[in-house]
Amino acid sequence: YRDLHTFELQAPTRLIEWARGSRVCVAGYGQSDGNEILQLIPPPALLTKETRGLCPERDFKVECGGFSEHPVYSLKYVPDTSLLVTSGPRDSSLQVWQVSAEDSDVIKSVSPIATENGTGQSWAKIATISARAPWVLHGSRLDRVQVTEVESRKNVYTAASGGSEELSGLAFLDCNTLLLCCTPGQLCLADIRQPQGLVEAMSVPLAPCSEQWCMGTRNGTQGLELSSQPVARLSSRGLLALTDLRKTSEFLALAKARVPSPGSGAEFLCISWAPALEGCLAISGFDGTVHVYNTQSWDSSGREAEPIFVHKGHAFGGAGGSGDPPLVTVHTWHLQKPRTLLSAASDGSLHVWDWVQPCGKC
Amino acid sequence: VSRVFCWCAGAGQDVGRSCILVSIAGKNVMLDCGMHMGYNDDRRFPDFSYITQNGRLTDFLDCVIISHFHLDHCGALPYFSEMVGYDGPIYMTHPTKAICPILLEDYRKITVDKKGETNFFTSQMIKDCMKKVVAVHLHQTVQVDEELEIKAYYAGHVLGAAMFQIKVGCESVVYTGDYNMTPDRHLGAAWIDKCRPDLLISESTYATTIRDSKRCRERDFLKKVHETVERGGKVLIPVFALGRAQELCILLETFWERMNLKAPIYFSTGLTEKANHYYKLFITWTNQKIRKTFVQRNMFEFKHIKAFDRAFADNPGPMVVFATPGMLHAGQSLQIFRKWAGNEKNMVIMPGYCVQGTVGHKILSGQRKLEMEGRQILEVKMQVEYMSFSAHADAKGIMQLIRQAEPRNVLLVHGEAKKMEFLKQKIEQEFHVSCYMPANGETTTILTNPCIPVDISLGLLKRETAIGPLPDAKKPKLMHGTLLMKDNSFRLVSPEQALKELGLAEHQLRFTCRVHIQDPRKEHETVLRVYNHLKGILKDYSVQHLPDGSITVESILIQATAHSEDQGTKVLLVSWTYQDEELGSYLTSLLKKGLPQSTP
Repeated sequence: YRDLHTFELQAPTRLIEWARGSRVCVAGYGQSDGNEILQLIPPPALLTKETRGLCPERDFKVECGGFSEHPVYSLKYVPDTSLLVTSGPRDSSLQVWQVSAEDSDVIKSVSPIATENGTGQSWAKIATISARAPWVLHGSRLDRVQVTEVESRKNVYTAASGGSEELSGLAFLDCNTLLLCCTPGQLCLADIRQPQGLVEAMSVPLAPCSEQWCMGTRNGTQGLELSSQPVARLSSRGLLALTDLRKTSEFLALAKARVPSPGSGAEFLCISWAPALEGCLAISGFDGTVHVYNTQSWDSSGREAEPIFVHKGHAFGGAGGSGDPPLVTVHTWHLQKPRTLLSAASDGSLHVWDWVQPCGKC
Repeated sequence: VSRVFCWCAGAGQDVGRSCILVSIAGKNVMLDCGMHMGYNDDRRFPDFSYITQNGRLTDFLDCVIISHFHLDHCGALPYFSEMVGYDGPIYMTHPTKAICPILLEDYRKITVDKKGETNFFTSQMIKDCMKKVVAVHLHQTVQVDEELEIKAYYAGHVLGAAMFQIKVGCESVVYTGDYNMTPDRHLGAAWIDKCRPDLLISESTYATTIRDSKRCRERDFLKKVHETVERGGKVLIPVFALGRAQELCILLETFWERMNLKAPIYFSTGLTEKANHYYKLFITWTNQKIRKTFVQRNMFEFKHIKAFDRAFADNPGPMVVFATPGMLHAGQSLQIFRKWAGNEKNMVIMPGYCVQGTVGHKILSGQRKLEMEGRQILEVKMQVEYMSFSAHADAKGIMQLIRQAEPRNVLLVHGEAKKMEFLKQKIEQEFHVSCYMPANGETTTILTNPCIPVDISLGLLKRETAIGPLPDAKKPKLMHGTLLMKDNSFRLVSPEQALKELGLAEHQLRFTCRVHIQDPRKEHETVLRVYNHLKGILKDYSVQHLPDGSITVESILIQATAHSEDQGTKVLLVSWTYQDEELGSYLTSLLKKGLPQSTP
């Protein structure tokens, strides 16, 4: 490591979202109500490019917080507004919140966006964009995907139902194109200008056993071309698939991560591309570690890949011996510092770490 | 309903000094008397004229309590007691009493001698002030006067820091001072029992902070020291004698042992003596682990840490030195600093807050050219690092303390109003208590519900506990008795006892109701029918047919007579006492419904 900072949140989080002004947002996902949404200001040491050692300001500060009655599984800021949207189980409705950090430190709940009731534990995955207006893309299943305008609650687009598979993630590739990832593994593209068309991009072959998949995309809202960004998918058995959206009939690359074999469920699977390191991505959710891979050397053989770094900090953190070892619930990359990541685990720990590349590459 | 008033001279929404006035059931107590470290003029002291326009402070205040020796909690004490004038008792724990005068004197020296200020307290004033101090032990109930009592609880944070409970009758307030809910190497965590005060006054400086783990900070500290020593440099750590210095020594000693390092570590002699002396004196104030090891091996006699001699500063090669005073304003640490400042391989690690005007403060602000005595310029090439291990409770810790003490109201000091709204809501939602955040000079009034103690007679207690289910510590038990209020005392006795004492006779109330039943048969047959009917329905009750022709249901009597004018009608007389009202009414309505046709 070049640097490692460990923090303890009062309640574990399964999301880490970046907000304007280098703020970071986390939220509780416990079953009882009284979950908190916290918008944090990272310590100055983590914001500056050079790392200082014993800098006095080493702590996160809670800038503002809100109380949610539902467990918060997903949270997205609506760009160019002071709103954020959350979703979580029991139903697939979305809660809308107002953040006004200068006036008060309370994140206030604004009325929710109701959707068709899901069944049981299904909850809506969300993505936001503010190209033509502040929109939120949401849905818990392939046949329930909608784009809603946040302020007016008007429905902008409803997907024609392709099937009823559960969704594990969705994203705006640009202001007209949606990318949907289904839990069984398929990727679907949709154009909101064509309400009837759903293109099934890539089915993942192999494996009779039912794995669950999630995806990671490069930041689509930064005006990068759809064509140049491969989509990465991760399965609960540790398979990593890279797909070029222009050539969806084949894999760009396929690899296997070394993960504990009975995958502990797909609840917290997370895969993300590094914003500032070409070809690097990180995965987590199998145990108390976060793996970083360099995909540039991968081919389509599906061989086991060697991570260039493994963060094990969460596995050593905890209160020692009490119950299950902590599971990493989410990770995210620092937007500017190339080798810095933030990761959170089920024991409430929050780590910010920066590794040193041993062999001088990358 | 009564009131507790709370007024903040300093702390409310200004992190500078602490000085809170509490008025509870007519008693006035001042909590802490701190100095604002940021100001150089009169603003550094609280404005005591708020307290009483005329009249003496000694008459108005029942006592003053100081929570710990940090200057922002006790720095204005000599000014208050000697220059403004107060002769009443001042309470603090034993370690605080021992350490306060040292810090006050240090501070006085810097302000007056170095900065040349005049309107400041003198050494003599410090001494006179400390003569008014009454030292207290932890968990010792101290009677300030007949009605007012105080008790100190362990607060962690620094050596001798305490939280105080102030009690008058059955109303109480707990003041936390600065506290910490997580133990560190040499201090335990704060702890309080479920004393359920009417008000808990808690500091909230770090309520919005999520601290990075101590392990990280310690690791970074050790890394810096190690790096410096590896490249042959010298590390200077200016410390105040106690507390953090011990913790760092323990940390370094363990690290040196583990890494098998050879560079010498020194501890200046004045420090060792004082430190050992104080720790032996106050060993009960450190945490469990240290106390245990102190018995086996003196924790403050280290294998790798030796006593320092002035001459060693000139020795070549790497070393680490702990020296006083902590802010580099005079004495040995300043001397060493001057020798080592010019070499960029060396490092100085400042352990905490430095007062304005001291060298420590200057170099932390980034100054690299310092003017020393005789207009000599000292160029600082050595690395300057700052590390803060000071421990305050964060939001999680505050919630923990509230959970322990179970106060009815919470008041937060030491934070910024805007940033405490979230915490206020959090506390109110989780504990269903009111949470206040006053500003400087604002008076907060808290309504309390005083409880009235009532004596219960032993006979009544025994009797009531014998009836019904066994007493359960977790469930309240309902008891019946008569409340006698005489003069100012309240007693709960059994009704018989009350009647006796008051010389009253007991009256019995009995109800009789007539129910008409159509039945041409003889009376005794009617009675039999009624008896069988009731026996069939009232299976849980004792229904009896007495030889004299009457029926009893529990203690209710039913008798049948013929109607005087109509042979076909029988009149049932149902009679019961006041106590059986419910059953009596039920029976009556049951009988009014008539008897079933089939006769047994």
